[in-house]
Amino acid sequence: MATKIKRVILYIALILLAVICLLPFLLMIVNATRTGQEIVRSFTLIPGRALVNNWKTVFSYFNLFQGMLNSLIVAVPCTVFSAYFSALTAYGLHMYKFKGNKVITMCIVIFMMIPAQLSLLGFYDLVSMLGLTDSYLPLILPSIASAGTVFFLRQYCEVSVHPALVEAARIDGAGELHIFHRIILPLLAPGIATMSIGGFIGSWNNYLTPLVLLNTPSKFTLPVMIASLRASNDISTNQGAIYLAVAISVIPILIVFAFCSKYIISSISAGGVKE
Amino acid sequence: MKGKNTMRKLLAAVLAGTMIFSMAACGDTGEAPAADDGGDAAAESSTDDAQVSGKADASQKLVIWTMAADMQQFADKYVESHPDVAIEVVVTAPADYPTKVQNALRSGAKDPDVVCAEPQSIQTFIEAGFFEDLNQEPYNAQQYAENFVDYVWAAGQDSEGNQRCISYQITPSAIFYRRDIAEDVYGTSDPEVIGEKFATYDSILTTGQEMKEKGYRIFASTGELGFFAGNEPWIVDGTLNLSQSRMDQMNTAIELYTQDLTCYVDTWSTTWYQAMNGPIPLVGDEVDMWDQEAVDAAAAAAEGETEVFAFGLPSWGVLTLRDNAPDNSGKWGVCQGPTYTFSGGTFLGINPNSEDKDLAWDFITFCTTNEETLDWWIETSEGDVVSWIPSIEKHRDDENEYYGGQKLYELFLGLAEHIDYSNVTPMDTECNDLWNAAIGSIQRGEMTQEEAISNFYDQIESTYPDITVNRE
Repeated sequence: MATKIKRVILYIALILLAVICLLPFLLMIVNATRTGQEIVRSFTLIPGRALVNNWKTVFSYFNLFQGMLNSLIVAVPCTVFSAYFSALTAYGLHMYKFKGNKVITMCIVIFMMIPAQLSLLGFYDLVSMLGLTDSYLPLILPSIASAGTVFFLRQYCEVSVHPALVEAARIDGAGELHIFHRIILPLLAPGIATMSIGGFIGSWNNYLTPLVLLNTPSKFTLPVMIASLRASNDISTNQGAIYLAVAISVIPILIVFAFCSKYIISSISAGGVKE
Repeated sequence: MKGKNTMRKLLAAVLAGTMIFSMAACGDTGEAPAADDGGDAAAESSTDDAQVSGKADASQKLVIWTMAADMQQFADKYVESHPDVAIEVVVTAPADYPTKVQNALRSGAKDPDVVCAEPQSIQTFIEAGFFEDLNQEPYNAQQYAENFVDYVWAAGQDSEGNQRCISYQITPSAIFYRRDIAEDVYGTSDPEVIGEKFATYDSILTTGQEMKEKGYRIFASTGELGFFAGNEPWIVDGTLNLSQSRMDQMNTAIELYTQDLTCYVDTWSTTWYQAMNGPIPLVGDEVDMWDQEAVDAAAAAAEGETEVFAFGLPSWGVLTLRDNAPDNSGKWGVCQGPTYTFSGGTFLGINPNSEDKDLAWDFITFCTTNEETLDWWIETSEGDVVSWIPSIEKHRDDENEYYGGQKLYELFLGLAEHIDYSNVTPMDTECNDLWNAAIGSIQRGEMTQEEAISNFYDQIESTYPDITVNRE
């Protein structure tokens, strides 16, 4: 009986939390169907009738799907590069004993602490000297060196990569890269997936860097496009259209999460299973 | 089992969405409205690409960087008569626009030909060398000086008086009032008479009391006074100048608040917009206006409703009221406020690194001095006030039905002619924000007036170490 009561209380608490979490999301979807004037004047969960108009407003400013494609062109390579190269670095730092290993690790930790906004000016100058403004390369390539991911994966290696495993492979005659690709990468998969989700979302939502680096409207990524809706005549006019654009723009993230959630959950519990 | 899995996946997806949304939402709040005006939201264009006006194979290409969507409409209009030109309009959110421009132009970007600016960033852009001197050959902009409203012309000049950028519009602040309420309380809705009621801070207070006696409220918020606070400069010869008019403004704002003469809402909040269109509930000052549930709860408990008499807004408020108060169409009047000030406006200049300055200049003159364009703009925007005097003169007698047939262009031109641009300093935005914060903290009882003013001095000193602050 006592467990039953406990369970009921738990469920009520969880349902309450879920409602609190979902309400803003629901509001966003409802607001996507209302006009800007309705949104600023009142608050309701009953959908309005302005969906078509909002859609037209959004597409009169830009092609939302073009923006989505642009964002994918940036976010997917970003995620892949960040995952692969970070895993490679993390494994190297964990497995090989060499001079300077500690120094490099320290440097990585220090770089984690510098906010990206600080280096924006210098980064822009570098990109502009290389003649790479208005291209996707400066948005994609820096992800190869993502300090946070390396740090996380190095910790992850310590738990999940046992030296004996690598030694066994060496005795069998496998080359170092071969070992990394065939043995280590699958071992690290849950950790990589966790960081990739974060990386993908970060890159998908990245606003400041593409805003400053991209100049041609047709190359804009989604957040930059959506923000330009705010430059309208009156702040309230495009409110509904902004909600609609944001609602559509979260769809790919939902898909990514739906596919990777299995890995996230297993990676969170991974630490407890080992030995 | 399979169904359960799908369910779980779906749930996970929804939760993830919530997570993302709450991240995104952080960036959305607390944004002051963009001070731009005019026009319809949806601009038609002739190419598939929404941001490019004109044919894709046009021989010349002009790039415009702007924080106001109006430019898209001007671009579409321009290519109608210039078929060999394609115009790419890059629209950036106003809050981030200076960041984008500064990063790009600082390292000599050639991309934008025409660069737009708001009044508060013009001086920064000029000092950084982002605008071509328009007084030199071949532009000779000074020949147009006579035909522009003085303050707008002066706003686009650098410290040596060289023209750097030009605006096509004027944005003087005015009081927008309800004619039906004026009839009820004063028996007249004549803008001249009502203008007297708002002519000084003292008369505003009296008007507020008279309104309250009849069950109305003069303003929805005391923030309305913020548009009428600039009749002396903040900085004189490197010294902070806390003039009597600023003190009067502060005292009036506090009196309006403590005597219960406003509705205690925040400017630009949901309830503030509601007040334009009809009665709003009377709630106390303890309610957080941005918390809709608290407002609803307080409204349910409130004793009654009231209507708001007036809103203080720049001339682009003509459109804000039209769009947000459909039920009060024709019932509005406009008159002058206690001081002559302006807010917002889009200025156009030429990027010194541009490779096609002649075309850029042609576009700027097309937007600012071409009477045909300006006639079209007055018609399209349905109320935006242009800065080219011959065009306003031509439309002087136009009556705006939404404002009870009042001749708005005549009124705004009159107001704009009184604006003294020498009152404007580059530190204004910061000073005004701090000053309004000081007023707010007194109203909410967080500080006494003395404390708040001393705190204001402290903040100015720490923000601008070069400025001398003489405490009284």
